[in-house]
Amino acid sequence: MFLFILKRLAQIVPVILGVTLVVFLIMQMVPGDSAVILAGEGASIETVEELRENLGLNKPLYEQYFSYIANVFQGDFGNSLKNNQPVLDEIMIRLPITMELAFFSILITIVLGLIAGIISAIRPYSLSDIGVMVVALLGISLPSFWLGLLLMYVFSIKLQWLPVAGWDSAAHIILPAITLGAGGAAIVARMTRSSMLEVVGQDYVRTARAKGLKEHVIIYKHALRNALIPVITVVGLQFGSLLGGTVLVESVFAINGIGRMIVDAIRTRDIPMVQGGVLIASLVFVFVNLLVDIMYRVFNKRIDLN
Amino acid sequence: MKNEVVLEVKNLKTHFISKKGIAKAVDGIDFVLRRGETLGIVGESGCGKSMTSLSILRLIPSPPGKIVDGEILLNGKDLVKMSNEELRKIRGNQISMIFQEPMTSLNPVIPVGEQIAEALRLHQGLSKRQAWDKSVEMIGLVGIPSPEKRAKQEPFQLSGGMRQRIMIAMALACTPEVLIADEPTTALDVTIQAQILEIMKDLQKKIGMGIIFITHDLGVVAEMCDQVGVMYAGQIVEHQNSATLFRNPLHPYTQGLIGSLPKLYENQEELQIIEGTVPSPYDYPDGCRFAERCPFAQKMCIEKQPELIQYDEDMKVRCWKYTAQWQEESSSREMVTQ
Repeated sequence: MFLFILKRLAQIVPVILGVTLVVFLIMQMVPGDSAVILAGEGASIETVEELRENLGLNKPLYEQYFSYIANVFQGDFGNSLKNNQPVLDEIMIRLPITMELAFFSILITIVLGLIAGIISAIRPYSLSDIGVMVVALLGISLPSFWLGLLLMYVFSIKLQWLPVAGWDSAAHIILPAITLGAGGAAIVARMTRSSMLEVVGQDYVRTARAKGLKEHVIIYKHALRNALIPVITVVGLQFGSLLGGTVLVESVFAINGIGRMIVDAIRTRDIPMVQGGVLIASLVFVFVNLLVDIMYRVFNKRIDLN
Repeated sequence: MKNEVVLEVKNLKTHFISKKGIAKAVDGIDFVLRRGETLGIVGESGCGKSMTSLSILRLIPSPPGKIVDGEILLNGKDLVKMSNEELRKIRGNQISMIFQEPMTSLNPVIPVGEQIAEALRLHQGLSKRQAWDKSVEMIGLVGIPSPEKRAKQEPFQLSGGMRQRIMIAMALACTPEVLIADEPTTALDVTIQAQILEIMKDLQKKIGMGIIFITHDLGVVAEMCDQVGVMYAGQIVEHQNSATLFRNPLHPYTQGLIGSLPKLYENQEELQIIEGTVPSPYDYPDGCRFAERCPFAQKMCIEKQPELIQYDEDMKVRCWKYTAQWQEESSSREMVTQ
C-alpha cells in the first residue's frame, strides 16, 4: 500500500509537465497578444514592446516554457500579468472556496445518487423506480449553467429563501452545490441502480436470504457493499467533470473561486494565472484519483494495488 | 426419534408464469423426510430438482416463479402459508441450504467467519463475541485447518473445497432439522467431493438432521442416500430405498439412467444412452411424460398420465407397466399375436 501511494505520488511529475506544456501551447495558439491586452486600448507600440520586454514574452517559446517549469518545481508559479501578485497567493485565496464547493457538490452527488439508486433498485419497474429514473435523466440532460439560473430564479428571486450569489454564509453554498452536484447525482443514481440490480440476482444474495437475514440487512450489508464497487469508479470520474463544472457554476453564482479565476485570466491572456490554476486543478484531480483507488481497495480486497 | 417425520411435501407445484406461457417446473411432488435420514432427489438438468429445493424455502425468484399448489409441512406447520417474517425465522435456523456453486454462493467482500456468525446472532441471539467463537468452532468442525485465521479471510482467499466447507459450516451452525443440499459437490473435483460427503455424513450423525440431497450423480446417491426420488419433467417417477433402487429399478427412465452408467468390468464400446430429449416444461404431453423416449410405450401411455402408484412397501412408481390395466392389455395383445 505504502509503495503504491509513493509510486502514484511520483507520477505527479509527468502530470505537471504534461499539463503545463499543453496549457502553455494552447495559450500561445489562442488569438490575442498578452502585451497588447495588458497595455490597454490606444497604447503606443513602444509601450507594448516595453511591456513585452519586461514580461519576457519576447524570448523564444521553449525558453519561456523551461524557465516557467524550473520555477514551478521551486514552488514559484510566477506573477500575475494583470496585478503582478504572485500566482500562488492568488490561488491560495481561492482554492479553499472551490474545495468547499467541490466537497459539498460531491457530497450531494454521492448521497442523493445512492439514495435514488437504491430506491429504484429495490422495486425495479415500479412507479417509484420510473419516477426516480425520469428525474435522473433530466439531471443528466440539463446543462449546469441553465439549472443554476433556474434554481436561482425559483429559490432566490421568487421564493427568496436563499441568497442569489456570493459566498458568505452556509446558505450561499446550497444552490451552487446542488447545481454542480445534480448531474453527478443522476449518473451515480443510474449506476447504483444497475449495479444493485445485478448484485441482487447473485448467488450470495440468495445465500443471505436462505440464512433468514432481514431484508434491510440483505440490501445494505450484502448487496450494497458489492454494488458500490463500480459506483466508486463513477464518483471518482465525476469529480473530474465536477472540477470542470466549477468554472461555469462559479461564474453563474459570482463565487470567487479557482474556476472563475481561470476564466478571468483567460480573458486577459494572463498566462501564468491560467497555468497556475489549471495545474492546481490537475493536482487536486490526481489526489482524488489516488483516494478513489485506495477506497476501491478498502471495499474490495481482491484488488491488488501493486 | 429417528423415524419421526420432520418434513413432508404434498402435491407441490411451482410454476413460472411468463409471456411465453406457463412453465411447470415442479408439477405435483410428494415426499416425506424423516429425522436422521437422507433423501436423494435425482434427475437430469432441468427436471425441476433445484426448483423443488428452492421452493421448500420459498427462494424461487418471484415473479415469475410461484408456488401454485401444495403443502410443505415442517413438523406439521405449512411453510407455503406462512408470512415472510415467520418463514425468515425458519430459514437458516430449522431449514438450511447448501448451494451448488461454492465459488459464487459466498459474499465476496465479507469475511467468511462473519458470514457464519451473522446467522448465529440472528437465530440464536448470541453476542458478537460468542457468535464469532462458535463460527470459528464450526470452521474447525468441517475440517479446515487454522480456523481462527481462515475465519477472518474473504472467500477469494479460499479454495473451492474450503468454500463449500464454509457453506456447510454456515448451514449447520444453527443445528437445523433439515438440510437441503443442492448438488453440493458438483463443482468440486472427486477427492474433495469424497471429503465433503464424509463431513456431511459425519455431521448428520452428530446433529441428527434430515438431509435432502439433490444431485444428478447416481454414484453420490448410492454413497449418501437412504431413500431416492427420481425426478423427470417436474414429477417424481420413482421412489425407492437406495439399496434396492440400483438392483431393481422399476421405471423405464430409472432403468435407462442406471443402464447409462459406465461399467467398470465390462468392455464397452459405447455407453448406453436414453434416446430423445426431455419435453419442454411449457408444453408437457397429456400422457406419460417419458412415453416419447420409452422403449415400452403403448397407446395407453400416450393417452393418459399414470399416477404414482405404491408398487411395494417403500416402492412407488409412476408407470402404466405396473398397473392391472397393463396386464390386461398385454394379455389381450398376446392373444391377438397368437
